[in-house]
Amino acid sequence: MLNFNNPVIDTKEYSEIRISKTEPILKMNLRGKNRDFITKIGKELSIITPVDPNTSASNEKLNLLWLSPDEWLLYSNHMIDLKDANFLDDKLFNEISKKKLGSVTNVSDHWIMINLNGKKVFELLSAGCPYNFNNFKNSKGAVTQTLFNHIDVIIHNKNVNDLNLFVRRSFSEHLFLWMNDAASRI
Amino acid sequence: MFLINCPYCGERDQSEFTAGGEAHIVRPKQPTELSDDQWAEFLFMRKNIKGVQLERWNHSHGCRKWFNMVRDTSNDRIHAVYKMGQKPPIE
Repeated sequence: MLNFNNPVIDTKEYSEIRISKTEPILKMNLRGKNRDFITKIGKELSIITPVDPNTSASNEKLNLLWLSPDEWLLYSNHMIDLKDANFLDDKLFNEISKKKLGSVTNVSDHWIMINLNGKKVFELLSAGCPYNFNNFKNSKGAVTQTLFNHIDVIIHNKNVNDLNLFVRRSFSEHLFLWMNDAASRI
Repeated sequence: MFLINCPYCGERDQSEFTAGGEAHIVRPKQPTELSDDQWAEFLFMRKNIKGVQLERWNHSHGCRKWFNMVRDTSNDRIHAVYKMGQKPPIE
């Protein structure tokens, strides 16, 4: 059974940085290698599957992030209820996993999404990331998996100075507190 | 600290990667026919030379893919990076 209870993460505002949580949202991990799999997920989700490294594709409901040459993360733009989540879960499972095209795993309770926005978000990230954000900053829809204060994160550049950061549930509270501390000093 | 050009993700910091030791070690075709010493040789014994070495690396905090690298262990200069299954670009 999925656990949609989330750790306590409030909305916090600092000068030019706002840290907030949008949960529960649907998140799914899709893995597959062949061309049929890639066209099938595109068809089922009405999204062109991003095959270029560090890119993503979106429609008004869903975002599909490239994670590796055979792995993608799907997440919803808006909060969802369990019924909708189960519907999409079943649909993808029946069309992809059951037909042995690839694998579909519901990771809604695995990742926590934290939204960061404001003019100084990249200053906050550079406080703990080894990644060079110079090009990332200017390309809308860019995705990167990196370390943030030694914690594995996925960062999606949703809009100008508006990022979605995914962190594992067990690390989320610690990272949130650390980000608050770092943001208060910027 | 140095940069590694992951063949899938592009240039990233070395802290995102894990070293996987010597590359291109071929698994014996008939492990049952080997002596304990020969099996141990295959399993555990790795070269660790000073100079240019072929190595396996994993982008463990990124795309989680394995790849190969030609690295000079004396000065950390990376001569080439190539995908698994490909032949080393230099001797």
